[in-house]
Amino acid sequence: MFESIQEFHAVNGVFIKSIIAGTFVAAACGMMGCFIILRKLSFLSDALAHAMLTGVIAGYLLIKILFGTEPEVPAMVIGALLSGIFTVMMISFVTRVSRIKQDTAIGIMYTGIFAVGGFVLSMKSFGRFIHKDLYHLIIGDVLAVSNSELWMLAIILIIVFAFVTLLFRHLQLTSFDPIMAAAIGVPVLAVEYGLTICTSLVVVGGVTIVGVILVVALMITPAAAAYLLFDRLKPMLFASAAIGIVSFWLGYVVAFYAGVAPGSAVVVTLTCIFLIVLTVAPRYGLIADWLRKKQMVPQPIVEDILGSILKTKDHRDWEANVLKHVGGSRGRITNAIRALVRQDMLELQDGQLALTEKGRKEAIRLRRAHRLWETYLEQTGTPAEKLHETAHVLEHVNDRVALDYLDDKLGHPIQDPHGSEIPEDERVLKPGQQVLLSKLRAGHRGKVVEIGKNLQVIQLTRGTMVQVGPRQDNGQIWTVTTADQQELRLTHDQADEVKVEIVE
Amino acid sequence: MAEASNSSFAIEVENLTVSYGPVPALLDISVQIPAGQLIGVIGPNGSGKSTLIKSILGFVKPDYGTVKLFGEDLEHAKGHVAYVPQRGTVDWDFPITVREVAVMGRYGHQPWWRDLSREDYRIADQALEMVRMSEFAKRQIGQLSGGQQQRVFMARALAQGSEVLLLDEPFAGVDAATEQSILDVLEDTKRQGRTLVVVHHDLTTAAQYFDQLILLKQRMFAFGTPQQVLHPELLSQVYEGKLQVFVDLPQVVENSRNGV
Repeated sequence: MFESIQEFHAVNGVFIKSIIAGTFVAAACGMMGCFIILRKLSFLSDALAHAMLTGVIAGYLLIKILFGTEPEVPAMVIGALLSGIFTVMMISFVTRVSRIKQDTAIGIMYTGIFAVGGFVLSMKSFGRFIHKDLYHLIIGDVLAVSNSELWMLAIILIIVFAFVTLLFRHLQLTSFDPIMAAAIGVPVLAVEYGLTICTSLVVVGGVTIVGVILVVALMITPAAAAYLLFDRLKPMLFASAAIGIVSFWLGYVVAFYAGVAPGSAVVVTLTCIFLIVLTVAPRYGLIADWLRKKQMVPQPIVEDILGSILKTKDHRDWEANVLKHVGGSRGRITNAIRALVRQDMLELQDGQLALTEKGRKEAIRLRRAHRLWETYLEQTGTPAEKLHETAHVLEHVNDRVALDYLDDKLGHPIQDPHGSEIPEDERVLKPGQQVLLSKLRAGHRGKVVEIGKNLQVIQLTRGTMVQVGPRQDNGQIWTVTTADQQELRLTHDQADEVKVEIVE
Repeated sequence: MAEASNSSFAIEVENLTVSYGPVPALLDISVQIPAGQLIGVIGPNGSGKSTLIKSILGFVKPDYGTVKLFGEDLEHAKGHVAYVPQRGTVDWDFPITVREVAVMGRYGHQPWWRDLSREDYRIADQALEMVRMSEFAKRQIGQLSGGQQQRVFMARALAQGSEVLLLDEPFAGVDAATEQSILDVLEDTKRQGRTLVVVHHDLTTAAQYFDQLILLKQRMFAFGTPQQVLHPELLSQVYEGKLQVFVDLPQVVENSRNGV
């Protein structure tokens, strides 16, 4: 180990080996990380990184005690892999045989297996076997990369790249929809094992660079940043690898000039890059989100503006009128009006704001909602002075199904409690539409197209032309005049039995 | 599927028993579903409807019993069933576009070492056309409305070219207009001679939508036409105490038959 990175370079002259090693690791980690985060397994990768330490120690000690030689890297890698696979098997065993959920099982198993490593490491009888090389695997040191490690990293990268490219469809499908994957004969379990083995491999690789504690960052952070940037998996894989590589280079340069530990510098750089992406990502970033929210105009304000402009008699007063009736700041209202002009609901003519045809229809629909709610509130015994205020809140509940229900339960009222007319439902009541007779108002004319079974007493037949007269008995009785000048009186229930095609 | 047409039934389930824990999710289910029909699976929450679907797919291994497709064991019929998942179980933030989902239907048609062909993409695009989702092909799936999301997965199932389609609650949480548009797609598919099995929760529309109904609650309670299955006594037995809802049912069934 060297005191500082400068000293290292002074001694070795070249650091190209470290750069190559870091690039290999970052690329492999970046690709695998995508699948890890999409399968929501970030915690598992953390667990693997820790559990694998025990395997490293076991592999190291075994070789050292059995053969008395300083172990080569592959022995430790194989040990790491085995302990990784053992951890995953124990986790799936515990979740399968008991009601313990996966996250809990991960928590139990990795800490347990990690602790076994620590236990052995701290035993006096083994202590004398432990060499500094082992510590470098635990803490990670990109500066001490040996030739054999470089080869190992190259092989890991090739394996991961082959795995991801050859099995891309399998990995994508099992991550996205394991049920369909199983249904078309993809060996879901085998793919999962392959994924675990590759994850263990890249964790081993990452450990050499940043150590056990920080290796998770190398896998998760670039993938998370790429996830915020792309809507498709393939570009996300490439971006994740690229972000990992660039972060490593930047971190390495920072470490060189600041004279700090390269592992930490790399992870700090990664985290910074993630935070930048989180802020500026074009679709899923904070700024994009903020802009979207700013442009979004709350529906109640839109509805209140339309309502107040419909009420305005003299259009020169529209501004005062809107401010009087609509709550909220002037800026917010201006924003809403702009949005309404864009949506073709309002138009500006010589400085005066007027409703377009589309805007007028929408405003009438809202007025209908308001007055229906007032009628409802009056029937439920709401004090007269509260009617308007409460209806003003409720009118924003105005989807068609809700209003139709209200209208029907109230017996299709024509006037609200203040004596103003409740606008009819313009979308339904137009020529050519077939509607129930109960929805029609005085003046409508139409042809009877259907009569329910329960209405045979009344002399109406299919095809008769009818003219609707004024409602009688406090709006409870519908009157119609047939083509042969017969006058009929119908109750709400009876009127519901007749379907009429509107002529005018 | 000429090689598989040696049975007149699309799906044969025999004595199917599945359990996740100590309590069986499905107990001794036997049913023979004829080809070319639109079948509804109804039953209260947790009655094993989804489990039945997953068993027919081969995703859940039964404790006992068999599932056959067109007379063939499930193992040999992999890929002959397409599946439309429940909307709540899909990760809508997954980085995948509409077209990529549709072309997933073709994954089972190419071995892993070979790329998808141009023909595969053509079939996927055609399926998107059928469900009128072509214009959204490049959208990420999270940026669609509920009904559009449902139609994308319908397209995937169609692209798969399977004779049997299994759908888990396709009508859950969509508005009335969307419900109608999904139903249109289902009926188009049925007209092509395919068999559709649909998990459904709304009893008031069940009679209107389906040729036959399966009433399920761990055990098989009924399989037959809506008139036979939507029987107040049968329903009260399955839905315990929540009878109030069913007072209008005979009328609803009647109406749907008269096409009101």
